[in-house]
Amino acid sequence: MTGVSDVLRQLTIVFMEFEGRLEQTPLIRKLTRGRFELADYHAFLVGLRQQVADGALWMSRAASNIDEDHLELRSTLMRHAVTEHRDFRLLEADYAACGGDLAVIRGAEKNLGSEALSAWMFHEASRPNPFGLLGAMWIIEGLGSIKAAEWGRLVQRRLDLPDEALRFLLYHGENDVEHIKEFEAMLAMVLPDAAVAARIVKTARVTARLYALQIEEITGD
Amino acid sequence: MNELRDVYITGVGAHLPGPPVASAAIEDHIGRIGGRDSALGRRALRWNGVETRHYALDRDGRPTTSNAAMCAAAIRAALDHAALTPRDLSFLATATTQGDYLVPGHGSNVHGELGGGPLELASFQSVCGSALMAAKSAWLSVRAGEHDIAAAAASEFSSRWFRPAFYEGSALVDAKGRLRPEADYLRFTLSDGAGAVVMEPSPRPAGLSLRVRFIDLISLADRFDPCMWAGAAPESRADPLSTWAFSGPQAAHAEGAIALLQDFELLKRVIRAWVGVYLQKVEAGRIAPASIDHLLCHYSARSLRTEIEGLLESTAGMIPRDRWFSNLSTVGNVGSASIWVMLEAFLRSGRLSPGQQVLCVVPESGRVLVGFMLLEAVE
Repeated sequence: MTGVSDVLRQLTIVFMEFEGRLEQTPLIRKLTRGRFELADYHAFLVGLRQQVADGALWMSRAASNIDEDHLELRSTLMRHAVTEHRDFRLLEADYAACGGDLAVIRGAEKNLGSEALSAWMFHEASRPNPFGLLGAMWIIEGLGSIKAAEWGRLVQRRLDLPDEALRFLLYHGENDVEHIKEFEAMLAMVLPDAAVAARIVKTARVTARLYALQIEEITGD
Repeated sequence: MNELRDVYITGVGAHLPGPPVASAAIEDHIGRIGGRDSALGRRALRWNGVETRHYALDRDGRPTTSNAAMCAAAIRAALDHAALTPRDLSFLATATTQGDYLVPGHGSNVHGELGGGPLELASFQSVCGSALMAAKSAWLSVRAGEHDIAAAAASEFSSRWFRPAFYEGSALVDAKGRLRPEADYLRFTLSDGAGAVVMEPSPRPAGLSLRVRFIDLISLADRFDPCMWAGAAPESRADPLSTWAFSGPQAAHAEGAIALLQDFELLKRVIRAWVGVYLQKVEAGRIAPASIDHLLCHYSARSLRTEIEGLLESTAGMIPRDRWFSNLSTVGNVGSASIWVMLEAFLRSGRLSPGQQVLCVVPESGRVLVGFMLLEAVE
């Protein structure tokens, strides 16, 4: 049970449990129950920004710890890092487009969950051949390709904001099928291997739990 | 007698009222809101893939039978298939989304229609998944030796809830006379009918029986608000104190808190959750996709197939499409009755051979649950 499809199955289950946990957080409850205010959206963007800014950094660090036997995976991670390393600017622009003060979002501290998540990601990325981080990517990129657009549409409907204030949430969400194919290819670079498979799934679980903690800690009150 | 017994489905019956109704004639039966054709209807039909369905309302919207009477007809058909009569039945478990009465339970009214003799009764109310709640109750009753002849039955009379009176004069219809899509979609998705199975501790003397291997039901209401519901207006549906009975039936109707509604945005998340639960069963070894010879899956969102199929293939969870059996497009989505109506048609199709495994999957969007039933053909 350590092949690509077995690990993808376990990761899909982890993501389903993660979505269930997100549904129950106060912020997402407000969003799905139509009680989401502009202050909640501001808090949401501020809460996400620090972790989004970190994303390309831990990915780069992970790439730098991948050995010469896995150059293709290293290249893939580096490409991902390049693609994403300015995303937090987009998020800041969204924040400004709906009345937020750039100094606030740039100067905000990480919340409890973001602190834990960030520490965990950099810790994992600092290990030699940190293949477990593929599990973290599954969670974080799954958020981008599945949850972000869903949340974006709900925010837009509730707050009646222009597209310019929602680009970060709405612009992800494309092409989930591509996303899975690309991810399968990455898994195939390190699997089958029992220890790696277990580590990928464990890393996905920890990342999902800490990410949900980050969302739990976001309040617009 | 403390040992658990094997239990077999020895009879299956279905009852579909009236002739098949083509899509163009739907609103002759369920009526037109404000006298105008629905703008959403055609799109809804593309999504759900239903081509013909049955209604217990005639072309002028008058009822031709009741929910309980359809259920009783299906039970008689199942008993007949098992060479039994209502007199032989000692346990009856029923399922429906909305019975004829608010009180008492559907089971009592079905027994009233069925006749026979005194029997033990269980009455389940939910949405599609209630069929398997009733099945599990019947299965365990026979399995535990409490009863030797049990029936599990399910029926729906959805169409009466789709008549204009359920919407006109309520907040669900806007100033231009258009019905909210949350309400209109279901009017073109659900229809009427009933199905039933008979369970016994030994197989039929001749022909195929289905041994029930397991019935598992998993609710995810811990994380989701209602996705398909009646009894609360869309905006306040998560608050139990805003449900219809607190404001009384007239005010509740005006608020749009009586009609049957579906949240599409939530449904997308719910579908992923169903797939997740299925994959948990695969991961746990409870369901082995390669060993499933036939899949009977009750689902109405045909347009979501591609995306889900892709995910199932990537995760080694897919059961090849040539093993799927469905009659949804011709008999319609009959809610809780669908799985038995499908099983009845499947048995008649002649596709089943002794030793084969049949997996029935019943997702319910209601407040999100999914049920699985594994059957094995024995001769």
